[in-house]
Amino acid sequence: MRHSESLHPQPAEAALAAAVPKRGLKRHIIRDKYLYLMLVPVAVYFLLFKYAPLYGEIIAFKNYRLTDGIWGSSWAGLDHFRQLFSSKEFYVVMRNTLLLNLYNLVFAFPVPIVLAILLNEVRWNGYKRVLQNLLYIPHFISWVVLGTIVIAMLSPSTGIVNTILELFGIEPIYFMASPFWWPISFVGSGIWKEAGFGTILYMAAMAGIDPTLYEAAKIDGANKLRQIWHVTLPGIRSTAAIILILQVGRIMDVGFEQVFTMKNPAVTQVAEVISTFVYTRGIENLQYSYTTALGLFQSIVALILIVSVNKLIKIMGERGLW
Amino acid sequence: MKTNYFNSAILFRWLNYIFLALCAAATVFPFLNIIAVSFSDSRAISAGEVFLWPIEFNWDAYRNLIDDGQLIVAMKNTVLMTVVGTLLNMVFTILAAYPLSKSRLRGRSIMLQAVLFTMLFGGGMIPHFLLINSLGLVNTYWAIWLPALISVYNMFVMKSFFEGIPAELEESASIDGANEWVLLLKIIIPLSMPVIAALTLFYAVGWWNSYMNVLIYIRSTDKMSLMVKLYQMIDLVSPEMLRSGEGVTEQTLTPEGIRAAAIVFSIIPILSVYPFLQKYFVKGVLLGSVKG
Repeated sequence: MRHSESLHPQPAEAALAAAVPKRGLKRHIIRDKYLYLMLVPVAVYFLLFKYAPLYGEIIAFKNYRLTDGIWGSSWAGLDHFRQLFSSKEFYVVMRNTLLLNLYNLVFAFPVPIVLAILLNEVRWNGYKRVLQNLLYIPHFISWVVLGTIVIAMLSPSTGIVNTILELFGIEPIYFMASPFWWPISFVGSGIWKEAGFGTILYMAAMAGIDPTLYEAAKIDGANKLRQIWHVTLPGIRSTAAIILILQVGRIMDVGFEQVFTMKNPAVTQVAEVISTFVYTRGIENLQYSYTTALGLFQSIVALILIVSVNKLIKIMGERGLW
Repeated sequence: MKTNYFNSAILFRWLNYIFLALCAAATVFPFLNIIAVSFSDSRAISAGEVFLWPIEFNWDAYRNLIDDGQLIVAMKNTVLMTVVGTLLNMVFTILAAYPLSKSRLRGRSIMLQAVLFTMLFGGGMIPHFLLINSLGLVNTYWAIWLPALISVYNMFVMKSFFEGIPAELEESASIDGANEWVLLLKIIIPLSMPVIAALTLFYAVGWWNSYMNVLIYIRSTDKMSLMVKLYQMIDLVSPEMLRSGEGVTEQTLTPEGIRAAAIVFSIIPILSVYPFLQKYFVKGVLLGSVKG
């Protein structure tokens, strides 16, 4: 595609670079003054809203009080971390965060791959397009709406799911109030929202597979399954690798909105995750320093994870994220 | 041997078509069900009788919502948030992406790394909240708009699109004395309509659905967004969702019916533009995946 052109030196830029004597920064700044001018508001944005909050992380090591400000509050050293790591609630939210993400990795990650393979086998293009358009819809709907629909459908008294179960003589199940069923409903609704839309990247990767590979496989007598195994899957390997890195990088972070709309007091033991905990304890109960310590711990682990997974993927011979 | 393979291939194809049709049906069924519930009679809802078609069709739940008026106010707020937010997003994303797409720009790689770093490591929820609080932005929409001016991911998508535009197009104009502002407005932006359309849609859907930031930063009820309002309505009736349906049957309206109507009300704008715009969404995803 045209994007690859950017890899080669562009004649106009080369000409411009030649026109400016290599005599230092000043000439460059004068030549590109308008470009730098455009970047001024952008730089202000990043410094103020992306980097300044990093300075705010200091309050994890302080006893922050709104009236004293960040700098004026007294130092607490590692007290908040000590309190955090020795508390039971820390292990509960850590366990829930990791488990829900692990379930997603195991059960939700492969779904778009399978769906994409099946969609790719559909030869009738009109039918394929209709299917895709229907499967993408939930991606564009917010968790508040989807969570509510899930809760309504799974309701023991009026939900359609229990009505159907009743036809088979099964007692109503309290899906959203059961620590066993809640994580299943959680992962299932995540698949509902993202599996269809997630096929787009895999379908694009499959479209890029050389058709002669399929021809060769057919001549070798490979049936459909073996073609998928030996041609399609290797063709989407690097796409899957990138998506996997991104997911592992987010393993410390279960989406706030999905949990927040789906959780209820009956399942806190399995549903409370880091982000919802920080919200309730920090924003609602004003335990700023304590929850910042948890947030900082989460960010650092996430950073280490994404950097190491990226490295691992590169060692395995795939193109990493950077 | 040959015919055997042929038959199994045809069987596979038909099973596949049927299976995928079931998947698509399962995906849209909950929406159809909720639409049917929103138009149904309270008795049928409480009995769990509604499937795909309204039972004893009526508008009562919608009439109730409109009389109540809160959801209409919330929708107006959300429209404002979406329009202004998306405009700001596009202006800032272009302002960042255009200079950073120029490989001749001194300091470019440091700036790109600084931007990329914010994707990997960010201040948590509380430091962000304290910053917005100290800027005095709490309970204004600026608390929602400003921290989200640029999505780094979208910025990179736009930057790589700009990099793909042949440099000769700008070259001839710059010889005629046009500066970068003119180049950007007269040449780059008109050539970038596909990516601009796609990112505008991504940002706009994000704003329409935005929830967490409004929950954190907006306090007055008359400034609430649609999604937060919706959540509050749902939260109020949530004990009923877990208990059996006793006591709700005498009322003419069930919480379920009102909830369903509120949901339909809030997703209609997205569902009604979706069929026309979905190809831009797909294009946007694909633009993002083609890197360097």
